[in-house]
Amino acid sequence: MSVQSLVSRKKKSFIGLPAPLGYVPGLGRGATGFTTRSDIGPARDADDISDDRHGPPNKKAKEEEKDEEEDLNDANYDEFTGYGGSLCSKDPYDKDDEEADAVYEALDKRMDEKRKERREKKLQEQIEKYRQERPKIQQQFSDLKRDLAEVSMDEWMNIPEVGDARNKKQRNPRAEKYTPVPDSVLTRAAGSGTSNVLSEREQKFGGLNTPYGTITPGVSTPGTGTPGDIDMKKIGQARNTLMDIKLTQVSDSVSGQTVVDPKGYLTDLQSMLPSHGGDINDVKKARLLLKSVRETNPKHPPAWIASARLEEVTGKIQAARNLIMKGCEECPKSEDVWLEAARLMPGDQAKAVVAQAVRQLPQSVRIWSKAAEIETELKAKKRVYRKALENIPNSVKLWKLSVELEDEEDARIMLSRAVECCPTSVELWLALARLENYGNARKVLNKARENIPTDRLIWISAAKLEEANNNIAMVEKIVERALNSLRANMVEINKEQWLKDAEDCEKAGSIFTCQAIVRSVIGIGVEEEDKKHTWMEDAESCATHAAYECARAIYAYALSVFPSKKSIWLRAAYFEKNYGSRESLEALLQRAVAHCPKAEVLWLMGAKSKWLAGDVPAARSILALAFQANPNSEEIWLAAVKLESENNEFERARRLLQKARASAPTARVFMKSVKLEWCLGEISNAKKLLEDATKHYPDFAKLWMMRGQIEEQGGHISDARDAYNQGLKKCPHAIPLWLLLSRVEEKTGQLIKARSILEKARLKNPQTALLWLEAVRLENRGGMRNIAQNLMAKALQECPSSGVLWAEAIFMEPRPQRKSKSVDGLRRCEHDPYVLLAASKMFWSERKIAKAREWFNRTVKIDPDLGDAWAYFYKFEIMHGDEDTQASVHKRCNAAEPRHGEQWCLISKDITNWRLKTEELLPLVAESMSIPT
Amino acid sequence: MSYMLQHLHNGWQVDQAILSEEDRVVIIRFGHDWDPTCMVMDETLYKCAEKMKNFAVIFLVDISEVPDFNKMYELYDPCTIMFFYRNKHIMIDLGTGNNNKINWAMEDVQEFIDIVETVFRGARKGRGLVISPKDYSTKYRY
Repeated sequence: MSVQSLVSRKKKSFIGLPAPLGYVPGLGRGATGFTTRSDIGPARDADDISDDRHGPPNKKAKEEEKDEEEDLNDANYDEFTGYGGSLCSKDPYDKDDEEADAVYEALDKRMDEKRKERREKKLQEQIEKYRQERPKIQQQFSDLKRDLAEVSMDEWMNIPEVGDARNKKQRNPRAEKYTPVPDSVLTRAAGSGTSNVLSEREQKFGGLNTPYGTITPGVSTPGTGTPGDIDMKKIGQARNTLMDIKLTQVSDSVSGQTVVDPKGYLTDLQSMLPSHGGDINDVKKARLLLKSVRETNPKHPPAWIASARLEEVTGKIQAARNLIMKGCEECPKSEDVWLEAARLMPGDQAKAVVAQAVRQLPQSVRIWSKAAEIETELKAKKRVYRKALENIPNSVKLWKLSVELEDEEDARIMLSRAVECCPTSVELWLALARLENYGNARKVLNKARENIPTDRLIWISAAKLEEANNNIAMVEKIVERALNSLRANMVEINKEQWLKDAEDCEKAGSIFTCQAIVRSVIGIGVEEEDKKHTWMEDAESCATHAAYECARAIYAYALSVFPSKKSIWLRAAYFEKNYGSRESLEALLQRAVAHCPKAEVLWLMGAKSKWLAGDVPAARSILALAFQANPNSEEIWLAAVKLESENNEFERARRLLQKARASAPTARVFMKSVKLEWCLGEISNAKKLLEDATKHYPDFAKLWMMRGQIEEQGGHISDARDAYNQGLKKCPHAIPLWLLLSRVEEKTGQLIKARSILEKARLKNPQTALLWLEAVRLENRGGMRNIAQNLMAKALQECPSSGVLWAEAIFMEPRPQRKSKSVDGLRRCEHDPYVLLAASKMFWSERKIAKAREWFNRTVKIDPDLGDAWAYFYKFEIMHGDEDTQASVHKRCNAAEPRHGEQWCLISKDITNWRLKTEELLPLVAESMSIPT
Repeated sequence: MSYMLQHLHNGWQVDQAILSEEDRVVIIRFGHDWDPTCMVMDETLYKCAEKMKNFAVIFLVDISEVPDFNKMYELYDPCTIMFFYRNKHIMIDLGTGNNNKINWAMEDVQEFIDIVETVFRGARKGRGLVISPKDYSTKYRY
């Protein structure tokens, strides 16, 4: 059933349709028949197919159902009787027939039986006889087959294969051949549109006009002829002309003159030169082309050189030598060829070649120096140079090379001769001057000046010479004279060049020359209004080139021009502080304060420098002087107080502060006094002072903070709270005050109150990251993780670019999400040290030591003022680094002197640590840091 | 079982059947539905039609109704099976001496399927003559 459904489903379109009229079956699809049995096949007509053997079944008699099937196979055919079967099978089979058949059958049977024995015997005999005559193949080989038993397994396996007896052509059938598409086809395809190319004929006869006389009527004109015909001809011609061009390019023209541009050709060839081990075909091609170049233009030296190099590259050194020698013969006046030949030849032969070359070109410096180079012995070299100098006495290069070989004494003699021969060579003069003693050197330099009046180097070396011989006074004079004479000789004075020379002088140790040059040159070519600016730039560039004397000289000159400019003094002071000694700094500062007594910074720098050097009285006296110059200056007061308190002179500090409060009652002075008292443990005094101070300066938040903290320290929580609240009334925008208040509440266990305080703070100070952070931490400390998360989300919405918040957020995430959070954070605030620090901590917690170290470095680089980063870094190195890295972090931290950072300030501002320095603080803070997890 | 299989009633349909099949072998049985040999053959064909539907399609042609190919293809046997693939008559070496067709009734379904598969594989490779997996020369038949 399934087949039927199959049939119906995939019913073909032709099923059930009648054939088209006049359709010849088989022809439509190009079917071909076959003839296997010509005896019956096509001989029979198509119509008599329905013969007896395929008669309808109802006609068929029952009896002959099986055995009467006519068989038309060959086996059924007999030459005499034709096909087996009855001839009368068409007729109806009746009783007579049946009877007759029975009779015949009986007869046959009887006849068969009658002779059966004899016949069978005869047949047997016949078969045996036949077998004897023609034994079976199997029997014929039976003896050989028996022998097969003796064949061993090995022999059997090694029976040789029958070879392929066919000839080579038959064995290897030819690969399929592809014939390129003929041009005519292509052009016909291309020219199926209108062809806008005129054939030669058309051009000749002017466009598309039909040449009337040349064409017999009836023949299609060339303009209208099939495009294929014309184009074939054209293509042939084009091909010929192209071939022609190529041939003429490569070969010589008849006139004997080359049409090849040798230079262009050679650059082409150069680019074709194969690298060693390149394609062998390239080498062959290059060789061929070079050969044609050589032959067309044998007087062209580069051709020879290129050929020789090609052979050398391909490893045929001998061929290369032969070629280059031939080249030498052809172009004896070419230096390059000779040099190449000398390069290619081995040892002694090279010498011979060079000798020949020298004979041909006695004036060539390069060949002479090559000749000297080839010589191995010093003596021989010297001899060669001598000879060379006989031929070319005015070559500076030869002189220099030969002088280099001589010892000092001979060199001096040689140089004195050299300067005679080449009086314009500065180098020779200078070399000579260097070799002479002082007196002679002066003379030499004077002579040199006469010969070359336009060179500054001679002047400068003269100045150096004088300095080296302690004629300091002369140096200045020489430099001045140099400038004058050079100007007189129309030489432009270039400030940059001279400054460069000055730097060189400094490096060579001629400090005075350097200073003299700077002094005389610095003012040249600078506009009046640009002066300060340009000089500062010059000084800085000198300082960066490590030419400190130059910079110092520039500053000195600048200060002598502008003695009352505070900024220059400051710069000079910073320069001395960075590069100079303490003495030079102090000297400078002394001069500075003399000129600008109102510059507090200069005073303070001076005092600090003294104090750092341990000279406290001097510092005190400087500050006293500063007081005189700037009475009532808060800065100086405080500096003095600091000086005293740091030196444990608390009484003096107290007195100073008292004085300060009287003469310059500022908030800071009050604050400092309170702090001093607090630090000294005089709480009652401090409180008294605070009372006073807050009355005078109620809107100075720090005073309130101190008051609160002092109360807190004493355990008077409610008083502290009062102090903070009062402070907040006066200064509602003091974030630390808010934080302190909330912490006080938190400390007393009133979480709700702390929360409300922070909320209030946020209302008054929107978009303040610190308040948000405190709120989040408050929740975290209270164990309310959900609320903390919510708050953090809100906080990040309000302050999306706050690094502190992001850093906290990163560590609030569960560990797997931290990385993505940190990526977010870094995207939002790329250069925020807090985020970087958080990232480095994250790597630390993941034990990616190298990465963490890299990030720590990045953090402290981006903000060296962040103490927390330093502390974490130090702790990290203590745990994972070696001593070197720890020491280096410690050192770097000391240099950076960090002041900020939450944890850092907590430790550093702690009253108990009030006098600790950075280096002591760092381990303390690091100790207090928790290891990130 | 001949009524289960698709018949073709004129020469044009035969040609179309051979032409229309792109990637299956077209098997055409020439003969008469009432012929006992054909009946045996048709039984076999019906049994394997479903199994071979992916690579062969079977049509029956009455050679009295459609005598157009009798001469061309020497259709003198009671039952003839011929194979076509993409309008190409695929010959098959059965060992009988006549490579053009199967001119006896096959009773074994699997044997026939094997032959058709061989034809299909050969034809796909572009062969015009394939070798039957089994030798049907007389020595085995008798």
